[in-house]
Amino acid sequence: MSAKQDDRVPVTVLTGFLGSGKTTLLNRILTENHGLRIAVIENEFGEVGIDDALVLDSEEEIFEMNNGCICCTVRGDLIRILGALMRRREKFDHILIETTGLADPAPVAQTFFMDDEIAAQLRLDAIVTLVDAAHVLQHLDEKKPDGVENEAVEQLAFADRVVLNKTDLADEQTIAEVIARIRGINAPVEIIPARHAEVELNRILDVGAFDLERVLKDDPQFLTETEHQHDTTVTSVGIEIDGEVDEGRLNAWLGKLLREKGADIFRSKGILALAGSDRRYVFQGVHMLFVGENGAPWREGEARRNRLVFIGRNLDREALTHGFARCVVTAGAAV
Amino acid sequence: MSITTDTSVEAGSTAWETALDDAPVALSAAGDLVAVAGAEGSVLIADAATGTEVGGLELPGGALSVALSRDAQHLAVTGPTGYALWSRSRVSPLIVETGAWSSTAAWADNGRVAVASGRRALVLDPAGETQWATEPAASTVTDLAWMRNGRRLAVAAYGAVRAHERHTDKPVVTYPYVGSHLALAVAPTGRWICSGNQDASIHIWRTRDGSELTMSGYREKVSRLAFDDTGYWLAADGAPDVTVWNFSGKGPAGTAPRSLQCHDTVTALAWRPGGAGHLASGGHDGTVALWQATAGRPQARMRPSRTLPAASAVAALAWSGPHLLIAAHRDGRVRAHRLPSRNTL
Repeated sequence: MSAKQDDRVPVTVLTGFLGSGKTTLLNRILTENHGLRIAVIENEFGEVGIDDALVLDSEEEIFEMNNGCICCTVRGDLIRILGALMRRREKFDHILIETTGLADPAPVAQTFFMDDEIAAQLRLDAIVTLVDAAHVLQHLDEKKPDGVENEAVEQLAFADRVVLNKTDLADEQTIAEVIARIRGINAPVEIIPARHAEVELNRILDVGAFDLERVLKDDPQFLTETEHQHDTTVTSVGIEIDGEVDEGRLNAWLGKLLREKGADIFRSKGILALAGSDRRYVFQGVHMLFVGENGAPWREGEARRNRLVFIGRNLDREALTHGFARCVVTAGAAV
Repeated sequence: MSITTDTSVEAGSTAWETALDDAPVALSAAGDLVAVAGAEGSVLIADAATGTEVGGLELPGGALSVALSRDAQHLAVTGPTGYALWSRSRVSPLIVETGAWSSTAAWADNGRVAVASGRRALVLDPAGETQWATEPAASTVTDLAWMRNGRRLAVAAYGAVRAHERHTDKPVVTYPYVGSHLALAVAPTGRWICSGNQDASIHIWRTRDGSELTMSGYREKVSRLAFDDTGYWLAADGAPDVTVWNFSGKGPAGTAPRSLQCHDTVTALAWRPGGAGHLASGGHDGTVALWQATAGRPQARMRPSRTLPAASAVAALAWSGPHLLIAAHRDGRVRAHRLPSRNTL
């Protein structure tokens, strides 16, 4: 749907706790007869080894960016490895990055925003989080010291797709509870139930999850407040308002919001109708970093509808909704 | 019929051309040799005057950098999973697969080479025996440079540049600066240490007292830095323009650089030997540009003295003496360009 052909190589980030089935899924992806040339960057050396794939080992190196933004970190190891990969003559159709269950997804995602060399040649396609249906609640309930985010919560908050694996090993009630907990953290995420990591690859590879038009267009359910609000502090807030948005006000509001609350806002995404533009404005952010671009044109007679979602810690739904509503200039329909 | 002599050779004309069956990533020239390394680990060693193959090797896991010793007797190749040492006098190269990322190698003299290996730097003799090694840095080592005539080794990694000497594995001096130091340049005068940063800046330390200076405002990360032979001029990427800073006198504090405008993305920088201020730069667009880089005024926006015919993206540049510029292109082509005049480009 995007206006210009994006020929950058898609990158999938595969994350999940030990025992969630990451290696099984990785092997499945690599052995399936899809004809794709795949490069894999993995944290644990030598777990997979497939002739058709190039497997590279990496050890997490998190680098702070020296720009006064405390949450702005990148993965130095990925910059290095992806850089070397792109200098090769052979072209890859897809790159998979496997991270450990303890890895913070933010620096991985931010790497694709912060490094121009990478951003020019690669696009982050989706963050896929694997979850062990039988054991994830235990991880989610684990109490962490103050200031330390529960990694399982963090990985779900960042996910574009959740593979709910090992559903054969959990009873229905547990599965329902797990799904409710996942929705409580990340309402818009697509949840894919699986056994033995058996997933249709087109649901997790090259899905364009960072292509927001596709995500937000056909999935309005995240806009409703979920019934299962546990005491988790990580939630998502969806906003849907008709009307046209003043670009200056939007920049001022969003800039201030991400500057002040960016440490707590893990992901932000939106499709907006800017006043004076006949095309959708599509944006997304990771913490304080943010990119926006023009998307597909609005159809004739189509209602100018703005949709946003924020996923993060201690989000104030009312303040977010009102803040955005003040950016809308033309009279909209129901708020 | 006319006889062509060297003095009538047209500047920039091709002396020879050869090809590497790989995408070149690094070049080194010394004495009568030129070495070119490819991303997938192919290394070609050729005669600098003719381009004729003299030797070669394959480094499993790919290559990142290549460095000939000054006497052109030895060669070090580094890559994502190890390093290799080649010598003229040895039948086969020594390949060391460590599994650790070896970003680069730097010769101290004809008998010692520093090789980055994961978070350490190893100092090896040409046979590959470790003479000494540094303690691990905070991250994978990104660049190396020798100081004090090969007695002190500067090691760049996350958060600091550390200077090491043989008697201890701990740094003898640490130059801290929060950030990811991608490239390191030490002035031949020994007066300045500069690092190019992921945060789109150049950080500078004066070695005498450790005083610091940051040149920020680059558009992109600074991953290429080079001092000329005099140590008065530093060239850097990080913007579409190559910036050239004046380090003579009290240094560049409070000054503006010269901007060399030719490429969209700078992919290679190499000063012509001799200190006449001649710089070669390469771009992603395939252009090689030659500059009187120190002419003009500070803050001047300059155009190249000459550009060489464009080819595929420039991967690396190296001078084989002052009269031969070697350019390796992404499609595998390696060209040697003649520049017969010492004073003009």
